[in-house]
Amino acid sequence: MTALLEIKNLHAKVGDKEILKGLNLTIDAGEVCAIMGPNGCGKSTLSAVISGHPAYTVTEGEILFKGEDLLKMTPDERANKGVFLAFQHPIELPGVGLAQFLKTALNAKRKANGEEPIDAVAFMKYMNVRATALGISNEMLKRPVNVGFSGGEKKRLETFQMAMLEPDFCILDEMDSGLDVDALKIVGQGVSVMREPKRSFMIITHHDDLLQYVKPDKVSIMRDGVIVKTAGSELVKEVEESGYDNF
Amino acid sequence: MTISNPFLIHTQENVIVKNPDDKSWVFEVGENGNLWVDFLQTTDDLNVFVSLQAEEAKCKINCAYLINKNNMLNIDIKVLHKYKNTTSEQHIKGIATDESSVSFKGIVEIPKDSQKCDGRQHHRGVVLSPKAKIEAVPQLEIWADDVVCSHGSAIGPLDANQLFYLQTRGLPEHEAKKILLNSFLGDLMPEEFSDIIQGWMDKNV
Repeated sequence: MTALLEIKNLHAKVGDKEILKGLNLTIDAGEVCAIMGPNGCGKSTLSAVISGHPAYTVTEGEILFKGEDLLKMTPDERANKGVFLAFQHPIELPGVGLAQFLKTALNAKRKANGEEPIDAVAFMKYMNVRATALGISNEMLKRPVNVGFSGGEKKRLETFQMAMLEPDFCILDEMDSGLDVDALKIVGQGVSVMREPKRSFMIITHHDDLLQYVKPDKVSIMRDGVIVKTAGSELVKEVEESGYDNF
Repeated sequence: MTISNPFLIHTQENVIVKNPDDKSWVFEVGENGNLWVDFLQTTDDLNVFVSLQAEEAKCKINCAYLINKNNMLNIDIKVLHKYKNTTSEQHIKGIATDESSVSFKGIVEIPKDSQKCDGRQHHRGVVLSPKAKIEAVPQLEIWADDVVCSHGSAIGPLDANQLFYLQTRGLPEHEAKKILLNSFLGDLMPEEFSDIIQGWMDKNV
């Protein structure tokens, strides 16, 4: 397999506080990698740094995506290269209708890849297939992005956005936090159907809820800003049984 | 000729309009009268005085300002509830970029005998650059004791988290800003002004 994402000796800080302290991680094309770790170990910082959040400063190291220097790109350039971040706390955008927003986003990606904008009819078809699969109603599509939705609905909408934008690399940041069993199942299945040989996932979590629906190829344990152990999916069970103290 | 500071009078019932110069407006709203007017300011100052002269007179004043370069803009809006049982609404929203500065002064005055009045005034401003400045002085001068009044003003930059969220969906920063600014202005301004607003955004955001 070829590496889709290569992180080498990554150091990052927010303000004066160093959070990532020399992190190494490689994720191959098609691979599902779970990042597990206790609260405060830097998991969410890792996802923010990969997607280019301006509050974090990388002080050392590199991130290569499809062989290119990701750290030189703006967040939108990263997105249009195929990086997608499903937010732990999806941001509300009052006054911005979801369907229109997704059409704009899809066309931004097409433009970045030298393609023509999608026509209205094709877009409706494209959207409706994906909305139906995730139980997103017409009424939800017309509402402003994430405004007035429950926690579970917001995570479903993040999954829907991911399905719409068809990224090559999907980061799911604590996607399973605050989800009831039904919502978890919908999100889990939504992720599972997107698995394919050229698409990789990085699933950030601190327990095994989502991993019951999306079986990872490998699991990396993160502690204090570095990856301390990487192994197969059997690691999930080890974490569930004895916590993070052994790592 | 392009009109740089368009206005639109939607409703004008029992209203005397005086427009002594192109920056100043005086509206006298009579009994059961109704005024609804929108202003869009991009270069010139605006000075509005509304007098609610008789019972059940009401007015709605909407104003948006868009200002760039090193322009300075003064917006003064005063509503006088001269008579009891009168109602006023002011909604002011604006965007300042580059090194521009805006001073908004809004006054709602309700004299002692003007009981049962309802006066509202809300202002929100977005500063798009560190050197742009918006100053707002909302003022309520209330002498009557049986009235309903509210006012508020909020000024700040665009929300960094919203901006980042839009960018992670592939929208370049300027596009993301435009989306947020359009949602900020919402439907304050009429369809008739949208070309001017979008034109301004294309040049300045």
